[in-house]
Amino acid sequence: MEQGIMEAYRDDRKQVCKEHQLDEGFVKDEQNEGLTDEIIKENRQLYEEIQKLEAELQEAARDFQIKEDIPDIKMNFTSVENPENDSQCLNVSCSFQVSSQIPYELQNGQALITFEKEEVAQNIITMGKHHVQIEDVNLEVTAQPVPLNPGVRFQVHVEVSTVKINVTGIPDELPEDQMRDKLELSFCRSRNGGGEVESVDYDKPSRSAVITFVEAGVVDKILKKKDYPLHINQRCHRVTVSPYIEKHLKKYQVFSGMAKRTVLLTGIKGIQMDEETVEDLIGIHFQRQKNGGGEVEVVKCSLCQPYIAYFEEETNGIV
Amino acid sequence: MSVNLNDVLCTLQEEQVRLKMKLQELQQLRRERRDPPKDKVKWKIPFPVPEVPLVFRGHTKQGREVPKSLVSNLRVCCPLPGSSALVTFDDPKVAEQVLRQKEHKIDMEECRLRVQVQSLELPRVTTIQVSSQTDGQRVLVSGFPVGLKLSEEELLDKLEIFFGKSRNGGGDVETRELLQGSVMLGFAKEEVAQHLCQIGQFRVPLGGQQVSLKVSPYMSGKIQKAEIKFQPVPRSVLVLNIPDVLDSQELHDILEIHFQKPTRGGGEVESLTVTPPGQQGLAVFSAESS
Repeated sequence: MEQGIMEAYRDDRKQVCKEHQLDEGFVKDEQNEGLTDEIIKENRQLYEEIQKLEAELQEAARDFQIKEDIPDIKMNFTSVENPENDSQCLNVSCSFQVSSQIPYELQNGQALITFEKEEVAQNIITMGKHHVQIEDVNLEVTAQPVPLNPGVRFQVHVEVSTVKINVTGIPDELPEDQMRDKLELSFCRSRNGGGEVESVDYDKPSRSAVITFVEAGVVDKILKKKDYPLHINQRCHRVTVSPYIEKHLKKYQVFSGMAKRTVLLTGIKGIQMDEETVEDLIGIHFQRQKNGGGEVEVVKCSLCQPYIAYFEEETNGIV
Repeated sequence: MSVNLNDVLCTLQEEQVRLKMKLQELQQLRRERRDPPKDKVKWKIPFPVPEVPLVFRGHTKQGREVPKSLVSNLRVCCPLPGSSALVTFDDPKVAEQVLRQKEHKIDMEECRLRVQVQSLELPRVTTIQVSSQTDGQRVLVSGFPVGLKLSEEELLDKLEIFFGKSRNGGGDVETRELLQGSVMLGFAKEEVAQHLCQIGQFRVPLGGQQVSLKVSPYMSGKIQKAEIKFQPVPRSVLVLNIPDVLDSQELHDILEIHFQKPTRGGGEVESLTVTPPGQQGLAVFSAESS
């Protein structure tokens, strides 16, 4: 056995002893050793195989990339509230929810039908085969659940500080302490748009700093321009200034979509009609109680070209 | 306590059965991934994920384009300083006009109030890129029965207590979050998280009953890119540095009168809120409903 497995196997033995409150002497007894050893070895090998497979499958599950351009949505004033904590007083925050729209590739000869009630949809699926009369053709249509890929949903939180700014492009001319002082002096000059500085966080290697001001409002003035004058020994350098922004995700969740009210119908073949008419006829058939159906919300059918059908979260009104 | 050799063997054999079953499951998943049967989903995730009910509402696209994601619940919160007011006009053109003058002189009976006027620049995320990755320190707890009568805080507390105990196989909990239908727990030590996933099933006392819960690996997200632009709110204007000579109600009325006057470049005011001196307010903006 390889080194790693040997060590793990020894740990397993210790673990088994611990769990059963045996002393290692018990297991070391020849007869006992033979039996338990064998199983412990096998279990360890199984466990390692499982780890490998899980890692492999998890690699595959990394396909959850979200790349979105968010359109310009007009924001409206809603209300004024009392800030609950310091963070709310010191940052302009922006948050929103992102959810994958789960697609289903509707192939030729397939249709999707959404019922008003979940029980109806389930019943149609349980019944399995349905005979639908489309003009002079009697179609055997099969109803099944819609296979859906998993998706992700999460919240994005962005906080733009009203008292901090990022400074970059700071020349590497002075020792750390001195540069920190020069930064403070330049940024507290009100004639350049600065204000009283609370603290300077200077990182010499990256030539950058975060300046925290005492009052909100200074940041707005400074950020009207992209750079700011830093005075070092009679010379003036222009350093780059930008907003101090923190971004993080909350409630990140991979989920599996389950279509409860939508059913997949297959076997819609050999029809020389336009999709809309077929959709209407399917809708009429499945609306009839005697056919096992009920109130229909949507029907979409593909007869000559594939469609991508988008599944959305049920917000309210699930029956 | 004397322990029977049989007991030990039994336990080990039970574990082997369990491991073999799990291995088979995973091998099946791998096979499905390589050759997905036509009527099944492209691939599954090897650990449980919560189910979210979805519905088809008729939205389709021709051909085979990459699906987009839905953005919702857009909300921006902006702190308001003391001695300020937020005026929202019906017409964005009026707001534009008001902003042309940096300073406004508001007429009162005996004097004039001098105030500054500013537009509100709000951050807007224009592009977002998020990737998924396994997080060795976090686990997903699932299998909660429907109708569990516990508040979010209570549930998270009970889970943190249970999974914080080493005798349950757990350890120090660093983070916790309630998701839809499941809970994420983050541990200080990666070994603890892994160990819990290995055990897999737990009986946890919740709300007076023993609940069977499943613990599995958690996929967490990471922001690869988020581009932000700043844009002024079209119909709102921030009034600053209002001298402290009136009480809020009087000030409210005086400001409203002033900003409604077309002769002063004003117009119909939709809303006006005052933030008194020495206090802080939080203006909430949300997406326009279409």
